[in-house]
Amino acid sequence: MTQDEFFAKLQAKFPKLEKAAAPVKDYLTVRLSSKDQIEPVAQFLKDSGFDILDMLTATDLLGPVDMKGFIRQQNFNPFLPDGATPEIESAATAGYPYRPAMDLLWSFISVENKLRVIVRLEQPREGTSVPSLVPMFKSADWQERETFDLLGIKFEGHPNLTKILTPDFTVGHPLRKDYVHVKDRFDE
Amino acid sequence: MSNMMTAADASTMPELKTDQLFINLGPQHPSTHGVLRIGLTIEGEVIVKAVPDIGYLHRGTEKLAEVRNYHHCVVLTDRWDYVSAMPNNLVFCLAAEKLAGVKTTPRADALRVIMCEMNRIASHLLFFGTYGIDLGAYTPFLYAFREREMVLDLFEMLCGARLTYNYIRLGGVMVDASPEWLKRTGEFIEYFKPRLDEYDTLLTYNPIFMARTKGVGIVTAEEAKSWALSGPNLRGSGVNYDVRKFAPYSGYENYDFDVPVGTDGSCWDRYFCRVSEMRQSVRIIEQAIAKLPAGPFMASGFAKVPKPVPGEAYAHVEASRGDLGIYLASDGGISPFRMHVHAPSFINLAMLQEKLVGMKVSDVIALLGSIDIVLGEVDR
Repeated sequence: MTQDEFFAKLQAKFPKLEKAAAPVKDYLTVRLSSKDQIEPVAQFLKDSGFDILDMLTATDLLGPVDMKGFIRQQNFNPFLPDGATPEIESAATAGYPYRPAMDLLWSFISVENKLRVIVRLEQPREGTSVPSLVPMFKSADWQERETFDLLGIKFEGHPNLTKILTPDFTVGHPLRKDYVHVKDRFDE
Repeated sequence: MSNMMTAADASTMPELKTDQLFINLGPQHPSTHGVLRIGLTIEGEVIVKAVPDIGYLHRGTEKLAEVRNYHHCVVLTDRWDYVSAMPNNLVFCLAAEKLAGVKTTPRADALRVIMCEMNRIASHLLFFGTYGIDLGAYTPFLYAFREREMVLDLFEMLCGARLTYNYIRLGGVMVDASPEWLKRTGEFIEYFKPRLDEYDTLLTYNPIFMARTKGVGIVTAEEAKSWALSGPNLRGSGVNYDVRKFAPYSGYENYDFDVPVGTDGSCWDRYFCRVSEMRQSVRIIEQAIAKLPAGPFMASGFAKVPKPVPGEAYAHVEASRGDLGIYLASDGGISPFRMHVHAPSFINLAMLQEKLVGMKVSDVIALLGSIDIVLGEVDR
């Protein structure tokens, strides 16, 4: 089965689905229009052979990362000669559509068909909350906890949505673009 | 003697209740292979609850990548799976090359394959040795490290580092392999082939080892797929999924090799998949050295500070521990807008919380060791 054949099959079942305008290169990328779609789409994918939920993550589209939040010294390149101004490493690029949104990504694979389907969903940045896929795919468990921990996205129905990577005293979600480090007992 | 109660009597007395006991396994326990803590609740010898606690080694490499340029990011990749860092370098370079639309040269591809397979051997040797120690066999460890030293010496000879190589660079590799290096690698392969049979006599078919691992910690194919396991953990359960065959990269489609697949998904099957994989790695290295193409080892086309056009790319490789993937998004700037690591150790470890329940205490280490995790990759 090729990507286009499978997309036709997917679209016959879910007419509202569309291919993403900017796909992940070389992979079939579909974009959901609302968060209610993720559960039926995931169930359909599972039933049609895409029984491995390979990856689950999200991107904060707010803007270039705020370096002041966690880089102590702006000129952190020790090889720059004295007095040289470093190239700003997180400057905004003109023309890129930064917006306050979270772009979620689920990636399913089918071993039999040698295919990967990437499902994307854009959600508002504040109070993001989407249905959890743990009842369908056990691999969603820790990956949803990771996404919650690092990006602050809530997964409705997750049995144990707690921090997983960052320490208990970390305030905020580090992978959000506006994350600012709050001093803790390990800072001097 | 007659009024002393035996274990058999206790099992026939259901009203005899034992208290639950909470045990901390780790984070400084040698068998956890790093800073992993598992909170175990046991009732007698049986585990009733297991809570893995990770994050002790979290360094936030995904965030760090957002303020470094693409060449700098290759250095970060070395620190995930520090036992086999070559595939880490490779997967980031593949993703960045896909994003920038740069093609590597045939010689660079062949050298990348040789290095990744050498690293797979080094990594599986570490697993072989430490898994033996976990189960009480100290001797195989010494044999495994004898050969692992040779691989690391070869790496040191080529790129100057023994652990964090930074050898695979955007567009190719750091330095070309000299004829002397290729000759020594060939000699190592010839030396290594009979050693594999030696390992089988030492550990693989050792009756004590088989009694500890065969039929222990069984993961069915459905469970393995639901947990999205990858690498030898998935193949041990009988699912034939190898990225080198599923989506060939760096010219793996040109090499003749088999994918070892287990049958019942027990600890021994996962172990045996890894040991068999070393034989396949030897075959791939032999073929790659025999038909190493001439030409440049670095493609032109990568700027000193690359600025890929806005877009997203995903690349994945068969690393030593499974399907290692990188999702890269660019906003057109000099650093990645978003980097996400699909880390096989992290995803493989997640099944522990469910699989440990109902097991005996002595089997915990057998299962944990057979998953073969590296905490640097679990926590990133």
